[in-house]
Amino acid sequence: MDMKKILLFCICTLSATLAFSQAKKPTLMVLPSDFWCNQNGYVQEYDNQGITTVMPDYQTALMSDVDLKLVIAKINDLMAERGFPLKDLEQNIKMINQQNAEMNLITSNAGNTLAESPIDRLLRVAKADIIIEVTWDIKEQGPKRTLTYIMEAKDAYTGKSIGGANGASSPSFSADISVLLGEAVLANIDNFNNRLQAYFDDLFTNGREVALEVRVFENNEAGIDLETEYDGYELVEIIDDWMAANTVEHRFSKLGSSENYVAYEQVRIPLYKTNGMAMDTEAFARELRSFLRKEPYHIPVKVLNRGLGKTVLVLGEK
Amino acid sequence: MAKKVLIALLAMFICLPGFAGSKRKADKDTNRFRYEIECAGNGVQGTYLLKVWSFSKKPHIAIEQCKKNAVHGVIFKGTTGTNGCIPQRALAATPGIEMEYKEYFDYFFNDNGEYLKYVSLTEGTQEILKVGKEYKVGVIVSVQKDALRKALEQAGVIKALGAGF
Repeated sequence: MDMKKILLFCICTLSATLAFSQAKKPTLMVLPSDFWCNQNGYVQEYDNQGITTVMPDYQTALMSDVDLKLVIAKINDLMAERGFPLKDLEQNIKMINQQNAEMNLITSNAGNTLAESPIDRLLRVAKADIIIEVTWDIKEQGPKRTLTYIMEAKDAYTGKSIGGANGASSPSFSADISVLLGEAVLANIDNFNNRLQAYFDDLFTNGREVALEVRVFENNEAGIDLETEYDGYELVEIIDDWMAANTVEHRFSKLGSSENYVAYEQVRIPLYKTNGMAMDTEAFARELRSFLRKEPYHIPVKVLNRGLGKTVLVLGEK
Repeated sequence: MAKKVLIALLAMFICLPGFAGSKRKADKDTNRFRYEIECAGNGVQGTYLLKVWSFSKKPHIAIEQCKKNAVHGVIFKGTTGTNGCIPQRALAATPGIEMEYKEYFDYFFNDNGEYLKYVSLTEGTQEILKVGKEYKVGVIVSVQKDALRKALEQAGVIKALGAGF
């Protein structure tokens, strides 16, 4: 091999390593809060086994409320300017509807439709790793109008609040709601981004915070549950030890456990795998799966991914 | 004629050190954060509208120094939430960052330096107060904070929001 080829090989290897060694970028999406949707009548009610459940109807809200579109567009514009473009709610909903329509029409030559479980359908909704919830309300005092607003970012999987901004505009006789809203977003976006930056800094220092659940298939073929013993230790203890050994600074909290269920939150996973590639919750869970499939456990494990931040492992069957 | 030239030269020699001295004093005041900065309302997208108060024995030096102080304040000090505004954090809030990048900031805040690209004075907004032996001068300025942030990000002084991803 001549020098030219060796050099080319080195450059290619280096570029590939650099490309893979970037941490996975969380996705952000602006959503109107449930409170705002309810206040403005953009909700759908349905009967959930006898209990009336109210769900926000984002599609109707986006088709009817110009102020909502303005807030989303404004935040999107300002975030894109900071090099962090957001996932657009409206486009996301359109894409899901299109996808649903296509999936209903796809058939094989033999007339078979696409395989889809109820969980696949449930997962096909608009989602992001960080949700920015916006709420606003107009209060009128005679001819004067004041805008009250709340903007809050939440980690969609751990449910933790990342930071927010809130306040009220100065009373105005003439300003339009859209003008007041635009001003509120402009005035708050820098402080909001500072909190987001602090969240990202913490992520790089202490690892990504995720949640992990381990469940057991009922009457599974392997005949195990989380109290099954190996060398005198229950399976749940073995998983606890694995978590302690593989988390950043052994950081994780156990929410609760039984013979069928164990839930961990505030699990700090490293941003990179040992081979330098980016790590996410699914990759972390797959490492636990590999461990459980090995000697002496031989446990079949199903991995259900819930985005960057949460994964469920189901033991006993695939 | 020769007499007039001599007088003019003498006047220049007398005035120049005074002018340079006031300028140096104003720069020292900036480094010691001896200025006041407050929000003056909502600026257009990408800018902060600020009122800056500077001190000097010569009002015209204080007016010029207000521009430098406005940019300095946005980078290192942040603004308080007056006049119905929301308090804003400094762009480079990490302690000791000014010393860490001393060379960069010395060049940046040089007279007629790069800082001038990010600030514009609003004419007709000057307020001059006599405080003891010096003047306290307030002007309204507009600082292009988004462009300033980008410049600091490119210089590696502060991190971009998506850095590392």
